[in-house]
Amino acid sequence: MNTTLASGIEYLPQSRRRLLVAVAMAGYPVAVAVLAGLKHTSLNRWLILALFLLLLLPAVATLAIGYRYARGRIDGRRARLDERDLALRQQAYALSHRVLTIILIAATAITEIYLTSGNTLQLDANTFWPAAVWVIVYLPALPSLMLAWIETDQPTDA
Amino acid sequence: MPDSQRRVHNRLAVLRAERGLSRRQLADKLGINYQTIGYIERGDYNPSLELALTIADLFRLPIEAIFSLKPMAPLSEEIFRDPPATAR
Repeated sequence: MNTTLASGIEYLPQSRRRLLVAVAMAGYPVAVAVLAGLKHTSLNRWLILALFLLLLLPAVATLAIGYRYARGRIDGRRARLDERDLALRQQAYALSHRVLTIILIAATAITEIYLTSGNTLQLDANTFWPAAVWVIVYLPALPSLMLAWIETDQPTDA
Repeated sequence: MPDSQRRVHNRLAVLRAERGLSRRQLADKLGINYQTIGYIERGDYNPSLELALTIADLFRLPIEAIFSLKPMAPLSEEIFRDPPATAR
């Protein structure tokens, strides 16, 4: 990766990082919801696909930025993690667990309300794949995103 | 630093400047990442006891001269506050 770009990501202020994390977290569910909504319209299928990919792009970009920001501090690729890195990693994992718990409880509650309202839920590729992709993409990315969320602004070089 | 954690004040920036050390140079001597020095100086990260003792050892100062739970007075003020008693 370009050094300037990498350095730019490293020194992103916390407020901007939090905005990027929010986009990364919301991007995929929003894109899937839009896709589900447009499927039942008479819109051209290629146009729907293009719109879906366009909506997906910010999520993919911000996920990549979140992963880059962690700089190997989550997956242990960085050769030497000092005590602050280790403490931060612990906090990031703990926050990931809390966020995941909230998401799972919310998803279960929504499904429960939906089903008890007389609706039926059909488990097919249309419902399974979006959930599976979320798990495959977000579960590994969540600690990096949480690290980007919690770390305070980098001190300027001196 | 978590909100529940009490801030530890320090004189690291002053001591580092006094010895003409950059953050990177000090970090290399301590075996930590240079950003961590900045976070400690800014009070955003409280070092472990082990790291605090290593820093004190490196500067050849007692730990309480570098770290304190109370805001620290300027070093010059502290030096001239209690003049040493003259020997009789």
